[in-house]
Amino acid sequence: MKKYLFLLHFLGYSVVAPGQQPDNCNLSLRGQVLDESGKSLPGATLFIRELKSGVVTDENGNFSFSGLCPQSYVFEIQFLGFETLEKKIRLTKSDAINFQLTPENKLLQEVVVSDHHQIVNKTNTFSTLTSGALEEVKGKSLGETLQGLTGVNSIQTGPAIFKPVIHGVHSQRILILNNGIRQEGQQWGAEHAPEIDPFIANNIVVIKDAGAIKYGTDAMGGVIIITPADLPTDQKLGGEFHLIGNSNGRAGTVSGLLEGGLKNLEGWGWRIQGTGKKSGDSQAADYNLSNTGFQELNYSASAGYHEETKGMEIFYSHFNTTIGILRGSAINSTEDLSNAIEMEPPQYTEDFTYAINQPRQEVKHDLLKLNAHTRKGNNLFNIQYGLQINKRQEYDLRRGTLKEIPALGYLLYTQTLDVDWEITKNENHSRCVGMNGMWQDNNKIDGTQTIPFIPNFTNYSAGLYWVEKLATKKWDLDFGVRYDFRYTSVVGFDFRNELYRSQFSFNNVSGTLGATYKMNQSSAFTTNLGSTWRPPNVAELYSLGTHQSAAAIEYGLLLDELTNEVLDIEDVNFKTEQALKWVNTYRIQKGKMNLDLSGYINYIFNYIYLKPRGVTQNTRGVFPYFRYTQTDASFVGSDLSVQYALFKALAIGSKVSLLRAADITQNDYLIFIPANRYEVSLRYEKNKIGSWVNFYTEVKAKYSATQTRAPRIVPIEDIINAYEQGTDLIGEDSQNFDFIAPPNGYMLLAFNAGISKTLNNSKIDFRLSVDNLTNTSYREYTNRMRYYADDLGRNVAFALKYSF
Amino acid sequence: MKKALKLLSLLSLISLITIFNGCKDDDPEPENIPELITKVVLRFTPVGGTPVVVSATDPDGEGSQNLQIDGPINLSKGTTYTLTIELINGLYNEGEDGYDVTEEVREEGDEHQLFFGWSNEVFSSPTGTGNISRTGIVNYQDEDDNGRPIGLTTSWTTAASSTTGNSFTVLLKHQPNIKSSSTTSIDGETDLDITFFPLNIN
Repeated sequence: MKKYLFLLHFLGYSVVAPGQQPDNCNLSLRGQVLDESGKSLPGATLFIRELKSGVVTDENGNFSFSGLCPQSYVFEIQFLGFETLEKKIRLTKSDAINFQLTPENKLLQEVVVSDHHQIVNKTNTFSTLTSGALEEVKGKSLGETLQGLTGVNSIQTGPAIFKPVIHGVHSQRILILNNGIRQEGQQWGAEHAPEIDPFIANNIVVIKDAGAIKYGTDAMGGVIIITPADLPTDQKLGGEFHLIGNSNGRAGTVSGLLEGGLKNLEGWGWRIQGTGKKSGDSQAADYNLSNTGFQELNYSASAGYHEETKGMEIFYSHFNTTIGILRGSAINSTEDLSNAIEMEPPQYTEDFTYAINQPRQEVKHDLLKLNAHTRKGNNLFNIQYGLQINKRQEYDLRRGTLKEIPALGYLLYTQTLDVDWEITKNENHSRCVGMNGMWQDNNKIDGTQTIPFIPNFTNYSAGLYWVEKLATKKWDLDFGVRYDFRYTSVVGFDFRNELYRSQFSFNNVSGTLGATYKMNQSSAFTTNLGSTWRPPNVAELYSLGTHQSAAAIEYGLLLDELTNEVLDIEDVNFKTEQALKWVNTYRIQKGKMNLDLSGYINYIFNYIYLKPRGVTQNTRGVFPYFRYTQTDASFVGSDLSVQYALFKALAIGSKVSLLRAADITQNDYLIFIPANRYEVSLRYEKNKIGSWVNFYTEVKAKYSATQTRAPRIVPIEDIINAYEQGTDLIGEDSQNFDFIAPPNGYMLLAFNAGISKTLNNSKIDFRLSVDNLTNTSYREYTNRMRYYADDLGRNVAFALKYSF
Repeated sequence: MKKALKLLSLLSLISLITIFNGCKDDDPEPENIPELITKVVLRFTPVGGTPVVVSATDPDGEGSQNLQIDGPINLSKGTTYTLTIELINGLYNEGEDGYDVTEEVREEGDEHQLFFGWSNEVFSSPTGTGNISRTGIVNYQDEDDNGRPIGLTTSWTTAASSTTGNSFTVLLKHQPNIKSSSTTSIDGETDLDITFFPLNIN
């Protein structure tokens, strides 16, 4: 269905004359498109599947086709907010007909289907960024794009690194499925963003319960599913071209896509796509943020064959980025941090430049995917293979020529094999069983001239799952179980730069239970309970060293408290992290109101986090140090999203995300937990203005509260002074702490507007958006840059899209 | 379609095998770690006398064990000393390249500077409490290619009267591209920051 929607964008207003016509193709069909009460619908689209062309209704809802042949045609009639109507009509003579549309039931409509897989169960709690919503944020990074959804935030490092956070958890605790493949990169660092170009996405779904066990372990917070559009199966050449300019960072983005079918090869389709981005230093409200430029060059190609009962596809993508880290955040000691916190604007603030110097990250990610499916009766078989190569290098300010070589470098190979079998027993009962296999190999890139932060490792994982879905008139039910096994072998270097080796394995069971009660046509209640686990990340077990721009030393769980020797996992009291998440959602879509309210509780047992353990002195000064430690943590919150149509074209919307997170064993707060957020928006839409279409304009106010549930504050000076007096302020009670207080809450205003113009066979979209309209100086609690500098000032973006 | 499936499984198998074989299970190469400073030696040499030597040693680099300082700095009153500082990377053996970090800092003198801080009234020259507090004076005896001080060699004259229980701080800053007559101890990144205690003048 999606691909027709896509094609419809390209259609003109006048009758589209079909190509070659036999002599008797002189019939016409005229009529009106009406809503359920009989009112005409101007701007509705009618599409004839056989001709792959269509028309749009005029201001009175009228349409007409001519040059039709005496045969059967399938008509698809669409209008925003209404169910798409499909009607087969057999023409024998010129005729007149009216089509009546019924308002769509969004409760069920959002369930996205890709590659014959149903991505989301009806019993999941999820939010979707549809292609339309994605269009409005094109040019932003993946993490920034996702921030538009309730309950989704990000841990940020400067203006270009956004790490998605779902309901307060991130990194190893959420899963990202990129085009069906489990994304595997160096996700262990808070300053490591997912390596994905959002331009490949046609829609993004965020599942916020732990119930997506089909996709593997680790989905404690949820799953982010990025899906490209289906490949075209007709021969028509299509494409789109984006041009985006941003005032902040003087940034430009160019992205293009071409797709089509193959002549004489029915069912084959292909697509090529590429994106280039370049940004110079971003600007805070009052000063330049030196060395925060970034650039990106991504491309992908895919080809596939699809027909009624089978299909296969090959997909390759390449992602390549260089990201500058704020120069003033480069610190080597706590004294440096103390200086950097005080300086305003930050040290080394210079004039705007596109140059990216140290410190910086260079990240590449390659993905190759092969998949095939076949349907036999009620059985659907899928097989999928993925190869990912992730390369990460981080450059720091180092002595002399060392600054030209990366201080950190890793190459990660991941291969995955997924096989599943879906059985549709009947309309109300289906089953899916499957297995996943993964092999992973991580090696340091030689020549960094530093003791590696994490060891080299090899992982072998295997998983088996079984999901059962049942439906009745009032209920949707599903349950699933999953078993996983992982073997890991590591080889690394300890603090003396001496080699160590270690092996361990884990296995465990995950389960999920979900139900949706359909109260009536317009409202439903969903509840989902999921239990999931994850094997530890090597960074949590073996980390040794200081992170980029963090004046703290980190030690893995397996390093001995006193001697720092690497211990065997059997010798420490380690238990795998286990989450129990319960999410309840109420959705109603009635008349002018569209509401989505959910509440969740997520208990994570044996939660691994960096616990402050003391203060140590080396030749660079006095440092607080942290050890990965286990505790029990709870994340309790609620999300609200509501839209209300004030008038036909004017809607008011509001989003609220509330979250409380705590270390329940120690009765303490966790650090970097997103503060409560509130958003109000006013949106005006008009389908047709003269010869222009799809006009929208929107004003948004976002308020982020001060994070009051934050750990205690221990200023650096106090730590150093106390240490000199012989007192260890951190080690005393090992409570969580922060160097500075959470920044004040802030309110940002944004403005968006867009309009489109259809030409003969093409369409141009114009979009204007302004973020931080009032150029407010603010700092975000979850942005690690907050210690050093203000967040971004005003940004005006202009985007142009041409599609044909 | 069956063919396609077969082809796919074959392709997967081939790539799996290729990469499994390509994966090296040998020991990874250890890195050279040239930047680490694990030991600092202060050598106060009076004219014609025996030097007073005090060192600070980091037993475990990034490990959590504390720095160890081997005793007080005991200087004679009213005496002029030349202080030379030696920086050592203990991951290397003596004589190996990389062991002596001092030489490296001297070669890159145009982006390094040592700053000093001490308790008041300890020295008659320089007077004050040092230049870590940004404004004080230090008698530098060496300079970089631009004629700016480095601080690996400095000159000190102790006070005329006895005083005990003072502190003496040595701070090495890396100031790439910014070292100038206006840069101070707060500029750049810290390579070394050690406070020696006690400093006694007898």
